[in-house]
Amino acid sequence: MQALLDQMIQDGAFAGVPKEVVYAIAMVLTAVVVLSVFVAPLAGVTSWLERRVWARMQSRVGPNRVGPQGILQWLADGIKNIMKEDIIPAAADQKLFPLAPYIVFMGFLCAFVVIPFGESLIVADLNIGILYILAVTSLVVVGILMAGWASNNKWSLLGGMRSAAQIVSYEIPAGLSVLTIVFLAGTLSMQGIIKAQGWGPWDWFIFHNPFTFCAFFLFFTAALAEGNRTPFDIPEAESELVAGYVTEYSGMRFLFFFFAEWGNLYVIGAVATTLFMGGWQVPGFFDGYPVLKGIAQFVTFFLKSYFWVFVAMWIRATLPRVRVDQLMGLCWKYMVPLSFICLMGTIGFMFMDEISRRVFGAITLGFAIATLINFFRRVGFQFRAAKPEAYWKPHI
Amino acid sequence: MTDNAADTGFYAEEMTISVGPQHPSTHGVLRFVVKTDGEMINEAIPDVGYLHRSIEKIGEKVTYHGYVPYTDRADYLAAMFANQAFCMAAEKLGNTEVSRRGEFCRVIACELNRLASHLISVGTFGQDIGAMTPFVHALRERESINNLMEEICGARLTYNYIRIGGVGYDIVPSTMTKIAEFLDHFEPIVEEFNRLLSGNKIFIERLAHVAVISKADALSYNLVGPNLRGSGIKWDIRRDIPYSVYPELDFEIPVGTAEVGSLGDSFDRFWVRIREMQESVKILRQAMKMIPRGPAISKVPRKFRPPAGEYYARVEAPRGDMGFYVVSDGSEYPYRVRIRTGSYTAMSIIDKLAKGIMMADLIALIGSLDVDAPEIDR
Amino acid sequence: MGIVGSYVKDIQDAITSTFEGMSITFSHLMRRPMTIQYPDKIPVPIQETLPLRYRGILEVDLDICTGCLACERVCPITCITIGIDMNKESKQRYFTHFDIDVCKCMYCGLCSEVCPTGSIRHSQEFEGASYNPAGLVRHFAPEASNLYKPKKGGETEPKLITKVDIGLKYLDEFATPDGGGAAEEEA
Repeated sequence: MQALLDQMIQDGAFAGVPKEVVYAIAMVLTAVVVLSVFVAPLAGVTSWLERRVWARMQSRVGPNRVGPQGILQWLADGIKNIMKEDIIPAAADQKLFPLAPYIVFMGFLCAFVVIPFGESLIVADLNIGILYILAVTSLVVVGILMAGWASNNKWSLLGGMRSAAQIVSYEIPAGLSVLTIVFLAGTLSMQGIIKAQGWGPWDWFIFHNPFTFCAFFLFFTAALAEGNRTPFDIPEAESELVAGYVTEYSGMRFLFFFFAEWGNLYVIGAVATTLFMGGWQVPGFFDGYPVLKGIAQFVTFFLKSYFWVFVAMWIRATLPRVRVDQLMGLCWKYMVPLSFICLMGTIGFMFMDEISRRVFGAITLGFAIATLINFFRRVGFQFRAAKPEAYWKPHI
Repeated sequence: MTDNAADTGFYAEEMTISVGPQHPSTHGVLRFVVKTDGEMINEAIPDVGYLHRSIEKIGEKVTYHGYVPYTDRADYLAAMFANQAFCMAAEKLGNTEVSRRGEFCRVIACELNRLASHLISVGTFGQDIGAMTPFVHALRERESINNLMEEICGARLTYNYIRIGGVGYDIVPSTMTKIAEFLDHFEPIVEEFNRLLSGNKIFIERLAHVAVISKADALSYNLVGPNLRGSGIKWDIRRDIPYSVYPELDFEIPVGTAEVGSLGDSFDRFWVRIREMQESVKILRQAMKMIPRGPAISKVPRKFRPPAGEYYARVEAPRGDMGFYVVSDGSEYPYRVRIRTGSYTAMSIIDKLAKGIMMADLIALIGSLDVDAPEIDR
Repeated sequence: MGIVGSYVKDIQDAITSTFEGMSITFSHLMRRPMTIQYPDKIPVPIQETLPLRYRGILEVDLDICTGCLACERVCPITCITIGIDMNKESKQRYFTHFDIDVCKCMYCGLCSEVCPTGSIRHSQEFEGASYNPAGLVRHFAPEASNLYKPKKGGETEPKLITKVDIGLKYLDEFATPDGGGAAEEEA
């Protein structure tokens, strides 16, 4: 991207225009294109899919009227919300109230900069990529706290406070879990971490040793908490705080919060895929065909990361919500010590010779496969026990 | 708020929050004025009266037959029980015999209604705790019960099924078959519900040891129904002040057993409801086997004029002891109708229990007491 | 069980119960949804699937109404208003109006139970939306019409025979407290 722009400047395509202006315009244009072509539909379709998946798990149908199977529902919702009246409550902080959704939105959007969709499909391969993501997603908490305070509403305030406590605490287990991988890969760069893994599950960091396996689940749980997802959705807990920090928001500003939430969901999946599941790594079979390889890499990465988005939806449909003190207890009593143990254990494995490390990795992989088989047997049992009317089609 | 802060700088004081009447989890239109210190509640003052429809006063203006559909509205989640309590009072006043088939029809309809009401209770309780799926699963099963009710009496919510002297419509054999089929389907679903929600670690952690009602408190606040039994007191109108044909039926009265926490906590009350549903299934199976032939309603004059007197009839409704006190002055209209419901006393204990618990626990507490707004205000 | 034991057990319980719950929600992906897509994407109209006892919006077959006013008297909320007048020359009584306020009606079914001919009955109709409350008052006697007099030995006029039969069948199935045909079915 940058190389192309440099080439064009050298060729004199923008003669007479200062180089900085060209860069600035190109950046804005790229951001607009990325936002409208990729991020917005991604968040939108995620919102639609979540509603559909959720509905099926609850014996409902879900939105299926706008477009084929309702896939354009997000577009209809967006248009509706844009056309709504922009309400700023009279008692709200007139400056901070409108600003808050954009800060939340920025927090998640900036994370897309370092997400590696393919070997060359990345906006900027920063050498501190994963650190950058941890830093920039923390911006969300500023926005949420701002929304909670500026709304001048007690529910919002409680929601904002809960969110601040939650996100700040869960940074620690998330950071420690990430650190295990950083130790293994020896780099903070997203591309570097992916390149340290292989295409097969046996080469992924999640099956590197039993401790990384645990670290993955710790990371995923902490990431759910940072993304304010069930079972950690206490900042916007509908049954307790009405709508938490978004109580006073409506129309497009309200949408921006949820835009960020669903976009964030994808970021969680993408980071999990990058760190633990081999990212865009594809088999060597594609080596001869660069275009095909690029497509295969993108598809691999996208599907892997979207799988974790699906898991987050699924968890949301399953679990109740924890209480705020239990949330803190879970973080400090369970997840922080466990992630330390995982970190130490992984360090231990780094001193082990490759063959025995491989044996432990294989045992972990075997355990994971056994769990998966057991899971599907359990699903079969649940299905038979309830004697329901079967309906296998994904659509209705 | 901001003005004060500007004057004095940092300060800390109680925050007064109005929970309801439009709060998502106040089950109807309840309102609490909650004084909190951050998340901790210092005081929760119930404020009732948002759903008052003067049902008791209406009772003085309509005939005995005409008042039955109004009793439906006293607690619209369990309309059958209000029907029955009023009809029992009227029958006692008018010395009316109830046909035996009518009694069994009443038991079947009431127990189906108890299932429906408890399903709503445990489902919305799950939703209060944050689990959305069990709520929809519970409503799905309730929908099947509503369909059965539609076949039995033609209405889904406000039945007007139980009449003075029996029931309005006979339960036909094809409906009996459908009820039996539903029960066979329902039992595994309760098990599944338990695996999905009741056994969940987060759910148990949220409820165990929360808002514990001791035996003494339960008695002194006059709690009834599952709330009382959750505290370990075995009291059930169906067994202790027997009415209808319940003495002939074999069923158990589940009480709280401190399964995961301490006796009388929120989980015990929830768990009593789940087990009561299983008992109701047992009662239904027996009643459908034992139901005799005959008319579903005995001969009752269209102009029902009971002699002067008074009677207090109580039934065991899903929310506990429901009583109708009817005074007759010998005319076509009741002189006075007084309704006693379980939710009202349950509401009164919330203030005591709410001290020192968290905001999220208050929601769990309201849900576990199964407080129902129409029953409180009437 | 010591502190360590309960610590490990907490983690184990959390994992196993989540595992169990997720297997249940996943199995629901293969079950048929309970909801139907009212009003358009359904195989048969809802009205046809409703049981006979369903208490929908009231309808009146004025041709077989005897004008006994039993329904008006029994209605607890007086949502039925009937006006009857007499033609001075022919001594024929006729309806001036027969209105049911659907707004007020609480679908208790008392009126259709007391009707001797089954002329007032609950239909399977439930979609009664209207732009104003006045639109919900159903006028069943738009013009003055005569009262029905049951003839001794059964109805003879072919137009009325079917109507009387429908009314009596409805009474038999719906309004008779002991279920009508049910007793025979059981015997």
